[in-house]
Amino acid sequence: MKNRILKLIKEQSIWIILIFSLIFFGIMTANFFSFRNFQNILLQTSINGIMAIGMTYVILNGNIDLSIGMIYALCAAVVIGFQSLGIVPSVLIALAVGLIIGAINGIFVAKAEINAFIVTLAAMIGVKGLLFVYTGERAIIGTNLNFTYLASIRIGFMPLPAIIFIVLLIIGEYILRNTSHGRNAYAIGGNQDAAEKAGIDVKKHIIINFMLSGGMAAIAGIIAASRMNTATTTLGRMDHLWVIIAVVLGGTNLNGGYGSLIRTLGGILVIGILNNGLNLMNVHTFYNMLIMGIILILVIYIGKKFEVTKS
Amino acid sequence: MGGGIKLNIEVSYLLENLLAWSIISKNMRGQIELKKLIIVLALSLILVAASGLVLAQENADIVIGMTANNTGVDSYQTLHDQAFREKCDELGVEYNILDARGEPMRQVNQIQDLMTKGVDVIVVWPVSGQAIVPVLRQVQQEGIPVLIANSKIHESGFELVKGFAGPDNITQGVYAAQMMAEALGGEGKIVEVMGTPGYITAEERSAGFHQEIEANYPGLEIIETQPANWNREKSQEVMENYLTKYDEGEIDGVYVGDDNMGVGAINAIKSAGRGSNLKMTSATMFADGYDEMIAGDILYGTLYQSPIDDANYTAEIALKLAKGEEVDFFNYFETPKVTDENIDEYERPVW
Repeated sequence: MKNRILKLIKEQSIWIILIFSLIFFGIMTANFFSFRNFQNILLQTSINGIMAIGMTYVILNGNIDLSIGMIYALCAAVVIGFQSLGIVPSVLIALAVGLIIGAINGIFVAKAEINAFIVTLAAMIGVKGLLFVYTGERAIIGTNLNFTYLASIRIGFMPLPAIIFIVLLIIGEYILRNTSHGRNAYAIGGNQDAAEKAGIDVKKHIIINFMLSGGMAAIAGIIAASRMNTATTTLGRMDHLWVIIAVVLGGTNLNGGYGSLIRTLGGILVIGILNNGLNLMNVHTFYNMLIMGIILILVIYIGKKFEVTKS
Repeated sequence: MGGGIKLNIEVSYLLENLLAWSIISKNMRGQIELKKLIIVLALSLILVAASGLVLAQENADIVIGMTANNTGVDSYQTLHDQAFREKCDELGVEYNILDARGEPMRQVNQIQDLMTKGVDVIVVWPVSGQAIVPVLRQVQQEGIPVLIANSKIHESGFELVKGFAGPDNITQGVYAAQMMAEALGGEGKIVEVMGTPGYITAEERSAGFHQEIEANYPGLEIIETQPANWNREKSQEVMENYLTKYDEGEIDGVYVGDDNMGVGAINAIKSAGRGSNLKMTSATMFADGYDEMIAGDILYGTLYQSPIDDANYTAEIALKLAKGEEVDFFNYFETPKVTDENIDEYERPVW
């Protein structure tokens, strides 16, 4: 029994950290435990959360995608830019842009066998260039107010972006657990050579996962565009890092082969709660970042510690 | 007054010391000790919390919430942040100042957090003049007054906010045009180096200059305008191109959006050896421009826009709004003209 509890603590450390941060901010700030604030947190985490779904797949393969922040910004600009065609066509075009850039990333990583870090770093710079060319360095303003309305829809108490996030997360987790694509994602991350010898089409799976990552970034961009009714060139500069941190916080192994989307959800929520709680606590800007950094490294350290004792 | 700030600074020292301590102990024993790290973390959180409590006791029941554009990215914004906090302490109000760090989405989220917190007024230094408009609609429904600081938002958002406090960029352009007319005796051809196109500050400084020249100085002509995106090197390039394109005598004046670009352009003028018959005016003074005006002849006039005046004025207007008082929609602070004549009345800017 004791061992089972200990095992639970070790494997689910992100949820324990989540509960601690809830208690801490609940005590420290007056309005933290309010219905409204939880709505806020859900809404605020949904954009990075959606990107973290694609990122988890890529990281499970043992790869990384640094370009999602810029794909996110470009797709936000595209969905606003094509608004004159109507909401559905503009959304589809933005999605296509995300998938295509993801596919290009995947092809370079899988077929040309260039390190994913380098490929997606180049993509990040290239897509940023595209964004500047497309927007002419100016903010593009949306004209269709119905589009802005989308992000503020609530079904019950849940904001629509949060529902999209949760639904995508459930589908993503289902695919990971119950389909051959999901199982192969783990196999490739665990040992790519062995996976190849076992007859898995490694290249195909890697390309699909990069497309997934690009597609998720596109969905995130569409939601951001709807929340702001604008696309600016300053969007998404740091988001790829926050998304990677969330995935790692959740306990997904950066070398691939181990992790899950439910854990990523934990990581995303912890970062969202830290951001929100520190804002409500009125911590000075600079210490806000310092404390955030300390907490993140500590959490990852604890996770690492448990991992060592496990083996 | 100012106890909160002082305590905050002490907290930061303690944090740094504790961090250093944990790193040193790591080096001595070859590994980070988890226990010590936890102690450091717990202590730092307690200290930060304590400083928050002290702040809360100090003042009345008014809370000013602010989300800044990108504190620390340049000295103007950093000084603005400091001065704003000091002014709030002086006025005896509580404040919750957040920093969007240049990210529009983060700023939208911070505005929501300030709403949840229930502050009495939200001051927004917009990262993007358009991106915050939808969330401002929610703030308006909530009944919390919003004051836009330093840079204006898109006109579609005007009905959602109580007002704007900051510099009047159009007037700055007008003043720069008047000084240009003085410098050139009302006759001459001018080239312009402007800030980033699409940014309201850059567009307004340019527009004010054009308006004034067209309305009042028929002898002056603006022959070309190019953007240098507030960047000194880019401005030097733009000026080099102007000097290649227009021979000696074909341009008489250069108007720049701020002194930073001004210094870049002056470098180009000097290396082309054309300083003797060119005059420059600028829309905002920086320390380099101050030095240039004292040392050289090219920079004729600029405008004194102080981040401290800006912050003080913004805090005062914000307090009025928090108390439910009515304010004008546009609240501009003074940005006086500075030329060789009166530069000794001003201190060298620290921004």
